[in-house]
Amino acid sequence: MFKSNNKKACPEDIRLSSVEALSRRVIIAMSGGVDSSVAAALLKRAGFDVVGVHMKFWSEGKKSGNKCCTPESEKRARQVAKKLSIPFYVFNFEKEFKKRIVDYFLKTEKQGKTPNPCVICNKEIKFGLLLEKALKLNADFIATGHYARSQLSGAEWKLLKGKDKNKDQSYFLWQLNQKQLKHILFPVGNYTKTEVRKLAKKFKLPTANTQESQEVCFINTEIHPVKSGRAGVPLKAGQFNRVNYFLRKYLKTKPGDIVDTRGKILGKHQGLWFYTIGQRKGIGIAAENPYYVLRKDIKKNELIITQNKKDLLQKELVVKSVNWISGVKPKLPIKVNTKIRYRSPSASAIVRQSGNKIKVIFKKPQRAITPGQSVVFYAGGELLGGGIIPN
Amino acid sequence: MTKKIYLDYAATTPVDPRVKKAMEPYFTEKFGNTMSLHSFGQEAKVVLEESREVVADLINAKPSEIIFTGSATESNNLAIKGIALANKHKGKHIIISSIEHPCVLESSQWLKTQGFNITKAGVDKYGRVDPENIAKTIREDTILVSIIHASNEIGTIQPIEKIGKICKEKRVLFHTDAAQSFGKIPINVNKMNIDLLTASSHKMYGPKGAALLFIRDGVKIEPILHGGGQESGLRSSTINVPAIIGFAKACEIAQKEMGKEGERLTKLRNKLIKQVLKIKGSHLNGPPSHKSTDGQSHPTKRLPNNANFRFDFIEGESMVIQLDLKGIAASTGSACSSIKLEPSHVLLAIGLKPEQAHGSLRISLGKWTTEKEINYLLKVLPKIVKQLRSISPFGK
Repeated sequence: MFKSNNKKACPEDIRLSSVEALSRRVIIAMSGGVDSSVAAALLKRAGFDVVGVHMKFWSEGKKSGNKCCTPESEKRARQVAKKLSIPFYVFNFEKEFKKRIVDYFLKTEKQGKTPNPCVICNKEIKFGLLLEKALKLNADFIATGHYARSQLSGAEWKLLKGKDKNKDQSYFLWQLNQKQLKHILFPVGNYTKTEVRKLAKKFKLPTANTQESQEVCFINTEIHPVKSGRAGVPLKAGQFNRVNYFLRKYLKTKPGDIVDTRGKILGKHQGLWFYTIGQRKGIGIAAENPYYVLRKDIKKNELIITQNKKDLLQKELVVKSVNWISGVKPKLPIKVNTKIRYRSPSASAIVRQSGNKIKVIFKKPQRAITPGQSVVFYAGGELLGGGIIPN
Repeated sequence: MTKKIYLDYAATTPVDPRVKKAMEPYFTEKFGNTMSLHSFGQEAKVVLEESREVVADLINAKPSEIIFTGSATESNNLAIKGIALANKHKGKHIIISSIEHPCVLESSQWLKTQGFNITKAGVDKYGRVDPENIAKTIREDTILVSIIHASNEIGTIQPIEKIGKICKEKRVLFHTDAAQSFGKIPINVNKMNIDLLTASSHKMYGPKGAALLFIRDGVKIEPILHGGGQESGLRSSTINVPAIIGFAKACEIAQKEMGKEGERLTKLRNKLIKQVLKIKGSHLNGPPSHKSTDGQSHPTKRLPNNANFRFDFIEGESMVIQLDLKGIAASTGSACSSIKLEPSHVLLAIGLKPEQAHGSLRISLGKWTTEKEINYLLKVLPKIVKQLRSISPFGK
């Protein structure tokens, strides 16, 4: 069987072998993708009583479905389950997903913020509803194909970054708690993506060559196929324009003024939700030097832009809805490494109590801190917790 | 227990080995097309007509009144749409019940878009249609009444004969979907005043891919499939000879064995119901199998092989999966629960709340169900119910 390059026993292996695998039931969430398929195979190899489950989520329009759960991906998940000789069931979470994830996404966008639906989905659906279901099925654990690791330290479950630094998905898991972690296994957390692909080949899984899914899963790429910018529907930084088509469909337009930092009207926008902080392209104001989205004034429905990149820098922020993985607030202040969005580089900071608020003070000012996004705290490879950036 | 236990005969049945044997020559040796002039075709045509006689005999119909189709869904579509299209000059009103199979519901729904009016007759708490209510609902422009003979979910057997009589008196055509009852309880289309009847092979130990529509002589109906003119022009398609041979064989067996098997299953099913109802917070959906206090009960009002329960505070889906993991195949109140989210329309129609409808479990017995299997289920089920109840919702 496959040998990891890492000679030392790794936390994940310890986890898998420390629990009496035999006759312990684990429900593996199988999207049909390579990560969860390999996770299922690893669990099976470790001797667990593995039960495969495919979750159906809400999607816009019925035909091609949510990207995480198209009929095609369900079929692949089913094939993998068959290959591994494990039972396989489909759970329909469409209604709950619409209510708890899509509606949250739209509500947050309407407030002019840029939400992380995956964070909420992990908390509410994968490690919420699915865990509930799993326990009803007499399972001891649920497992997913996330690139993250968990480790028992004393009586406390620690959440660690995945071995693959580039694929690490712990950012999306900051809302988990001890009660959940106790029941969670991350079988691929101790492998790199390359290793996982190799394992898929080795196990002869029918998913080995599937593509990555990265966009917002419930936005139908067939309904909104446009990738490039179009007048009045600007691109969001790092996202395809179809997000804005989706937003326009559900939130409509709400035109307002585009102003500079001194309040001078420079043009019109079609709705604050079509923009995100730090965005440069697609603002639609012609000038010698480029403009950046600096702020959104919800009350006045104004988009504030600047030509001075330095305006986007911020030294500190107040963080809301804070969660500590340990379940206990550590003694503050505490020195941490932060991430202000999934793909942003790690930044050193101090988390400090300030009255009844919790503040994050960065060592170096951060660019385009975006309300609605998650800021998460690490100590080395350990995810301590995180919070949401308010307006 | 290593052997799997199948308790979902209402979904589909295994093919009786005698049926399989009867079908075998028709794949490789006697494979002719009934429309061919040569000996292969003649041979196929002969056995097709022999099959029609056997099948017709089971419901006291004439062979000429039987049209073979590919599925009960197809038969119901042909019956509902075909009658509507052929009789629209007389009126555009159709009556169905609120507990029909989706293929009847959806066919009616489609007819609505074509200008027809549909009335859904309600049912009582046992799932029974009141014939008097049908009599009152029939209007001048009513052309068809379609009522399911026996419910696929809760097993309720409708007073078909009475409804048929009313339709006859009022000169309205009467169709019944007998997919669940055909081959399980006696049907006589003449005595029961039935003008059209749907039946399916794979629910009574025949193969999938064969079904029938009985159409009383003289009833005008429009075909849905046009083509080579098979089945008196009412169902153009190459005749699926092996499946029809199997269907006929299954009918022949049912003719002989239905009575005894019905008694055996009723006894076994009644034991199951009696024992399951001992579980705290358990209820029977549909008509009672024993005499109940309100005197409504009668053993002949529920299919012999059907039991449908609900358990307070428990989801049917979790129960079905738990049972499956223990090797027992059963079903929730609503079929296709992985596709549909809505609670069963049948259970809602008998007055259950959505959460009650989600908590139901259908056990359907069949020819190979043994007492030992029922005993194993009775051993496993209370534990599952207990375990599911012991878990409080997580993380809320």
